[in-house]
Amino acid sequence: MKLPITLKVNGESYRLDAEAKRTLLDVLREDLALTGTKKGCGAGECGACTVLMDGKPVNSCLVLAVDASGREITTIEGVGGLDGLSPVQEALVDHGAVQCGYCTPGVVLTAKALLDSNPHPTEAEVREGLSGNLCRCTGYVKIVEAVLAVSRASERRD
Amino acid sequence: MQDFDYWEPDSLAEAVTILSALKGQAFPLAGGTDLLPKLQKGQVSGSGVVNLKHVPELAGLGMERTSLRIGALTTVSSLLANKEVSTYFPALAGAARALGTPQIRNLATVGGNLCNASPAADLAVVLLAYEGRFKLAGPGGARTLAAQDFFIGPGQTALTQGEILTAVEIDIPPLHSRSAFLKHGLRKSHEIALVNAAVQLTLESGTDKIAATRIALGAVAPTPLRVRTAEAVLVGTRGGSAAWDEAAEKVMAAVAPIDDIRSTGAYRRHIAGVLTRRALHEAWGEAYETANHA
Repeated sequence: MKLPITLKVNGESYRLDAEAKRTLLDVLREDLALTGTKKGCGAGECGACTVLMDGKPVNSCLVLAVDASGREITTIEGVGGLDGLSPVQEALVDHGAVQCGYCTPGVVLTAKALLDSNPHPTEAEVREGLSGNLCRCTGYVKIVEAVLAVSRASERRD
Repeated sequence: MQDFDYWEPDSLAEAVTILSALKGQAFPLAGGTDLLPKLQKGQVSGSGVVNLKHVPELAGLGMERTSLRIGALTTVSSLLANKEVSTYFPALAGAARALGTPQIRNLATVGGNLCNASPAADLAVVLLAYEGRFKLAGPGGARTLAAQDFFIGPGQTALTQGEILTAVEIDIPPLHSRSAFLKHGLRKSHEIALVNAAVQLTLESGTDKIAATRIALGAVAPTPLRVRTAEAVLVGTRGGSAAWDEAAEKVMAAVAPIDDIRSTGAYRRHIAGVLTRRALHEAWGEAYETANHA
């Protein structure tokens, strides 16, 4: 069963026909070639597939593409690239918080959403905010330090 | 992912008509956090998915006179962000905070958590303690069920064919009353409760006597469980360790937990007693203060 859908991704509109059973994750990767969003567990456990939907982090493997029609989707491709990293990305690099990198796109988007809604979180709030993003390399310490550093840097600018 | 036909009704009447016509062959979709993994594994019997997200009658979260109406499509994260919830229903806020991960909470809905009918569902145990009224709509019209009558067994609810949970209503608790929610798991986040507990204590105004209490536990029986035998031993007492111990004994006698991959039944029974004592103590501390300093 194919359905016409309109996806708004990183500010651009895409019209396509997709099977009802396809997830937002698969359509992003396979139809739109936005492969920055990673597929990990496919069951909402690991957070590698995190994208922002209307500004909030969600597991794109748990969203049907047809159900994302009309929502504002932000993927990692929408938050900075080779011509300029976003503050969260800069901080992750500076703190050595990227090892294999597979969880990183999800971590960046979740941290961005956290800081957008709460610019100066406590360490506990950062850990809670990132509790849906599993990282098997870093042990999280450097990721948490990086996010807190972004908060402190913006405090100095405030 | 298994194949399915897809419907997107935009009114309650249309949703009920579709679900009734498909005679149990279609599955309602709300947040999708429970349904999508099942579809991925091909575990859904039936060939249709009915997306309820565009049904306006299922939306909304707000006060209606002296009760809070929680539309079935309310996400767990919007419960957490709601002022009335954090002011009047701290146990509900606690359960919302304990559910899943931030990503899951942004998708998962109250209706989905309840209709999935896991005996461990965090919101179910709290809505038992707040004596939620479950509003249903179906081919035969609308009806209201008490929380304890909604849950029938693991994964089973009182919903009949074509019937939809539209909202849950909970009354603002009386003055001098406080509630608490506790969850025990192996991780701090993204955990299915080994045991969860919700209690509400109401004191007689100006005294430290317990006028009424409600005690509910999850993951210790085929459905979330209200333990009235434990409530009964507390009414009229002045609380305290001995009273909490007695209530915990009643809880441990009433529960019927199973052994599974996450815990043994014996451990769950023990924890049910521990959480009962701790939740009563926590609720008591606050209730005591309100009654005597108001």
